[in-house]
Amino acid sequence: MSAQAATPSITMQYVKTIGIVNNGFNGRGFANPYDLVVSQDGRIFVLNRCDPTRAAAIRVGICTLEEEYLGEFGNGFGTGDGQFAWPVAMAFDSQERLYITDEHNHRISMFDTSGTFLGKWGTLGGGAGELNGPAGIAIDAEDHVYVVDQHNHRVQKFTTDGRYILQWGEAGTHDGQFNLPWGVAVDAPGVVYVADWRNDRIQKFTPDGQFVARFGESGRGKGQFDRPSSVAVDSEGYIYVADWGNERVQVLGPDGSFQLQLRGQATLSKWAEEFFASNPDEWQTRAISNLIPNLPPHLNTPYHISSQTEPYFWGPVSVKLDRENRLYVSETNRHRVQIYQKT
Amino acid sequence: MHQQDMTLMAHLLRRAGFGATRDDLEAYVAKGYEAVVEELLHPSDPQAMPEDIIRRYHVDQSELRQLDAAGANWLYRMITTKCPLEEKIALFWHSLFATGYAKLNQARALLNQIDMFRRYGLGRFDTLLVELSKDPAMIIWLDNNNNHKGSINENYGRELLELFSMGIGNYTEEDIQECARAFTGWTLGNAEYMAVRASKDSIWPYGRIAWHFEYRDGDHDDGEKTFLGETDRFNGEQIIDIVARQEATARFISRRLFQFFAADEIDAHSEQTIQEMMQSYFDSGYEIRTVLRTLFLSDYFTSEQARYARVKGPVELVVGAIRLAGSYRTPTLGAHQLAYQTFYMGQGLLQPPSVEGWHEGLEWVDSGSLLERINFIAKELSNVQNSGVRAIIARLAAENGGTLMPEQLVDRCLDLVGPLSVHDDTRAALVEFAAMDGALQLKGHLPGDPSERRVGNMLRMIASTREFQLA
Repeated sequence: MSAQAATPSITMQYVKTIGIVNNGFNGRGFANPYDLVVSQDGRIFVLNRCDPTRAAAIRVGICTLEEEYLGEFGNGFGTGDGQFAWPVAMAFDSQERLYITDEHNHRISMFDTSGTFLGKWGTLGGGAGELNGPAGIAIDAEDHVYVVDQHNHRVQKFTTDGRYILQWGEAGTHDGQFNLPWGVAVDAPGVVYVADWRNDRIQKFTPDGQFVARFGESGRGKGQFDRPSSVAVDSEGYIYVADWGNERVQVLGPDGSFQLQLRGQATLSKWAEEFFASNPDEWQTRAISNLIPNLPPHLNTPYHISSQTEPYFWGPVSVKLDRENRLYVSETNRHRVQIYQKT
Repeated sequence: MHQQDMTLMAHLLRRAGFGATRDDLEAYVAKGYEAVVEELLHPSDPQAMPEDIIRRYHVDQSELRQLDAAGANWLYRMITTKCPLEEKIALFWHSLFATGYAKLNQARALLNQIDMFRRYGLGRFDTLLVELSKDPAMIIWLDNNNNHKGSINENYGRELLELFSMGIGNYTEEDIQECARAFTGWTLGNAEYMAVRASKDSIWPYGRIAWHFEYRDGDHDDGEKTFLGETDRFNGEQIIDIVARQEATARFISRRLFQFFAADEIDAHSEQTIQEMMQSYFDSGYEIRTVLRTLFLSDYFTSEQARYARVKGPVELVVGAIRLAGSYRTPTLGAHQLAYQTFYMGQGLLQPPSVEGWHEGLEWVDSGSLLERINFIAKELSNVQNSGVRAIIARLAAENGGTLMPEQLVDRCLDLVGPLSVHDDTRAALVEFAAMDGALQLKGHLPGDPSERRVGNMLRMIASTREFQLA
């Protein structure tokens, strides 16, 4: 399902869905995925935010586009090395070291792709280089690390070992100000895009934090946002936004013009098919069900619709692109990733 | 500001809400008792912790795959709302129309039911019953999805009359069967699939799928029915029309409201108030708001007799302590533990022990639950880092140059957590405890210093008194 501008410049072709809820501590599946990155060799790393009753299972899961589950790493819940409390986002540097933010532990943890813990940095505070609730993270071609410092309502720029370079932003609604920002992306020339979550907009900055432009406003219409959580930019400058509160993804042109929106159209992953093969009672009753039902008026909100409409995005918290221009949408409430191909 | 007004307002807020801080009480008293009653009866913007904020940090409360997340979500709302009666009436209906997670395995549907209680809980009782009959959680809970034309399941029909409206002795077995026939076809969307998932507690493959009402005309028994002496081709709405106009219903609802909001026990004196509530029920067209207004303005409710005439339920106790202490105002790691706390005290939100709800009043307290109750309140009120406790300390420090003799410390703390009236023996024990360290000097106090900890310890002792367990 998608809605388009009068003459969209691009199309997004649904490819497939990967995932199944993981209710245990080992094995395939995801537990409230919050972000995703794809390595140069095509492996998909999924950050499982998890929930408090399964806190020990907070980890990074690894799989392939062909739905082969390769394993996971992370030391579970806590404050120790390699542990997380409320992990939010991930990014690779040029050496394929993985940086993971934790908005409760106020730090960045680093791993290699085999899951070996490499180090951590970050201290709670509001001073230069200090962090209060690090959320989105992006790393440019020169290995500058941009961290969204949400409770300080700013973006900070670091070296890969956590040395402070510069910062911009403060609480507010004017250009260059933020309200609990979340996601961040950096394009090939180094332009920085920030999902200004509670201001319902995307802001664009130069690499040193000079305001360039802003896109969007509050609402459910085309080009409007309700708490955008994540942003990605492709090589042509198209901007992909996880419009979290509207339970959709919107694609904007390089100038911020609305191009199209995606509501989600999940199909059964290989793991889901295997589940139904061994649970025919559920499959038989599912087969006579309408999984895209009409709901009564009091449930006519994006959140409630998504809670009852399994193919739609529910909690589309992160958008990421790979080198092949595939778009990965991580859905935290559905424990899966829907993948689209830009054409 | 008269102490008498403060005491009465505190009483109202304990019953129509979850207690109040001193700042809140002063603002309420300035408005006047009747104006506050009206404000409480007409909830506007609750200004509770916003759902987007909750969902961003608590993924478990966004997805609601598990029960504890749903309990915590409702508790956040109770803790932070500016419209406490909206939550209190929802808690009342949840106690009366008790629907439990164990059979449903669908927390979103339960919270949707609670939201329905917010929307309709102060309105017309017949409307509320229609909405209840359409509520998917209730439909699965009492098997109305298995109530078919030609093959009725009486479960919902029976409880609608026995537990939800008139009470036993006011209808026949035939009435129950006819009532059940009227509600055939009232089911939920994708009922077959959802019932299988509920019975298996299935979260596969992509988490829960929430529920919505569906009316299946082809499965509805449209034949003639005789119910409470009236005959027609009744559907569910007409059955509820008949139920709502019964005196037994007015009495049943008035008594339950009285016991929840006024006093655990009904005596001869309170019977007059119940009669007035019943009259309001009919005069207003079954409007709960009007019935409650009659109660809150009644001589009984505003009299000394009604004070501390109820044992606080676990949810009231926990929410009241947190609101007073000022904790959990922002998303807090471990908030789901709050749901466990009320469960340990005997009232697991969204998991009543049966369709009859909880046994309230003195049955809330036994030796095990009392320990849980005291430990929880004492921990919250003795934490001098909590903003509400800091506000109490600041008020104490601003009086008499910050110097308080033991009796003053006790009396001022009792006042600021209530005003709370305690028995002479209780007060004497508290004074004895306070006197162990002599006069308290709060001048120049610093966060967490020994003088502040003495206040925290006094609040801890007050939390353990019998009187603090009462509403």
